Amino acid sequence: MDQKTRHDLLQLFREKLNTAMTYYLETCTRCGICIEACHVYASTGQVKHISAYRHEVVRKIYKKYFKARGKIWPSVGEAKELNEMSLEELYESAYSCTGCRRCMVYCPFGIDTQMIMSIAKLLLIGAHSEPEILTMLADTSIEKGKSLDLFKESFMNGIKKLEKEVVKKWKMEAGETAIPMDVEGADLLFVALAGAHSIIPTAAVFNAAGENWTLSFFEAVNFGAFVGDPTRTKLILDRILNEAKRLKVNEVCICECGTAFRVMKQLAANQPFKVSSITEVHARYIKDGRIKLDSSKFNGAVTYHDPCQIARNGGVIDEPRYILQHLTNDFREMSPDPKYNWCCGGGGGLVALGEETLDFRMKSSRVKADQIRATGATTLVTACENCHTQLNNLNDHYNLGTDVKFLTSMVADALMR
Amino acid sequence: MDTLYNFVLIYMVYFSFAVFFFGTTLRLVKIFRKPKQATSLQIYPEKRAKWLWALYDTFLFPSVRKQKPVLWSILILFHACLLLLIIGHLELLGKFRIFQIIPHEVFLGNGFLGLIFCVTLLFFLFRRFLSPVRELSVPEDYYLLILLFFIVIFGSQMDWARRWFGYDQLVVKDYRTYLFSLLTLKPALPYNVSNSGHSFMLVLHVFFANLFLIFFPFSQSIHSFLSLPMNKLRRG
Repeated sequence: MDQKTRHDLLQLFREKLNTAMTYYLETCTRCGICIEACHVYASTGQVKHISAYRHEVVRKIYKKYFKARGKIWPSVGEAKELNEMSLEELYESAYSCTGCRRCMVYCPFGIDTQMIMSIAKLLLIGAHSEPEILTMLADTSIEKGKSLDLFKESFMNGIKKLEKEVVKKWKMEAGETAIPMDVEGADLLFVALAGAHSIIPTAAVFNAAGENWTLSFFEAVNFGAFVGDPTRTKLILDRILNEAKRLKVNEVCICECGTAFRVMKQLAANQPFKVSSITEVHARYIKDGRIKLDSSKFNGAVTYHDPCQIARNGGVIDEPRYILQHLTNDFREMSPDPKYNWCCGGGGGLVALGEETLDFRMKSSRVKADQIRATGATTLVTACENCHTQLNNLNDHYNLGTDVKFLTSMVADALMR
Repeated sequence: MDTLYNFVLIYMVYFSFAVFFFGTTLRLVKIFRKPKQATSLQIYPEKRAKWLWALYDTFLFPSVRKQKPVLWSILILFHACLLLLIIGHLELLGKFRIFQIIPHEVFLGNGFLGLIFCVTLLFFLFRRFLSPVRELSVPEDYYLLILLFFIVIFGSQMDWARRWFGYDQLVVKDYRTYLFSLLTLKPALPYNVSNSGHSFMLVLHVFFANLFLIFFPFSQSIHSFLSLPMNKLRRG
């Protein structure tokens, strides 16, 4: 690695060194309490996947360049040079971490491995060594935000075609639009994922609840967050923030996408609208009597997988359980509980990387498969697209014999007049 | 010999305390003055009052108790002994009525505090030789534990000799005279401090303690100051 590249990468590193990050880099005592926290280590037994080991890869570079003793006595902390080899290590650490933050619950100091991994991801971007597909997807999202007028009409035509499907699930009153778009003054802006499965059931539930809503032109998923690029993350998010402000909505509701929800909830904290997950909104409708669900619709035992970014990292824990009370009489909680719940193994951009990561995802999520199997449930419900894909893969790989469902789809299927 | 005693027991003590105080303060100020994290780093479910829960996490390590109860017991013993030994050293500076709520001889614990502390340190040290903690550890982790062990073993040895074997050449009064002279910037080494049979033990104890103080601000020992704000971040 040439001097200039290293200098530029260290500049990127320096930009990440805020108070919290410095706490995390300075404090770890390598006590090993986090050993069993990571699902990858628990499933594979490979030491390199222990959380402390993972962030030590970043910390050793920190010691070398940002601490005096990295220059005076580097061997005492095993300070390491930033070079091609360390970039490879950074890649392996960052893209085997799903950012579930289970280790943060274990750590007596609360060290956030996901945040430390954000340094690794940023350095990889700086060295053009990140997974290209994630950057391309992020750039596509940004481009869409810049040139909304170009695709607006075709998008609206595509959505029109979905309306029949929505009406099938919930018959509309004459004159009402099944999927309203671009409605100024709507109470709620729904940000979906690209794909009918994310829009049709939700639209049916909104219409059943008599919600004054409008569909966003933009997809919720934030590939900028997956690739760990704060600039791209912000640009992708801004498209939705600007749309919400333009339409003067009171609430932005994020579809079943964990990362999208957490990014929006955190980065839109001081906006003139509230940010909710679709699960929270559905629970509210049931509580307020705006929708009624038929609990006889689903047979067999049902269990729920808490998406890390929505539950442990987003605080939506009671709501899905409240909804499931109205959908089944045989709900089986996973063990351990939501705070300690095993990650599905697909977060942090791993599912988005598709087949490339499939083998790793399956091997690294054995504990998740065991956890699901132990419930004896025949229906596995979740509220995150990433988790859904990963759980489906796990279901096939480990022959779990469950039917993996989205919570929203179940709500839509169980709607009662 | 006198030069060595003077160096370790006087000049090095001042130097190491200066490095400890200024180094720690400087490091903390530098960290606290960095830009704040813009987003929440909270973990759910949320519990209120957040500050109280952060204090609970910081001082009682509930996550360790849940995951590794044996390690937790030893960690608690280690930290409790550390606290009581610090109190013991403060009592060597003068008589504090507040510490004598339960009347006791200086040091607290009749010699057993040091013994327990040694055992916990050995546990932490040997734990690091076993996989997978071995693969996580770096040299400074071993050095710090060995350093602490040396401090405690030489310090405790003096306490054990006095308490368990009736050694009376170097007593609390001598330590008080010595430490008070350091505190009032009129350093002096009483005859018993520098000429008793245990003086060399004292020199070794103080020497390793000095090294630890010098190393403290630059090591992960800084967690003693950062643990609370970090746990507060986790609690939201």
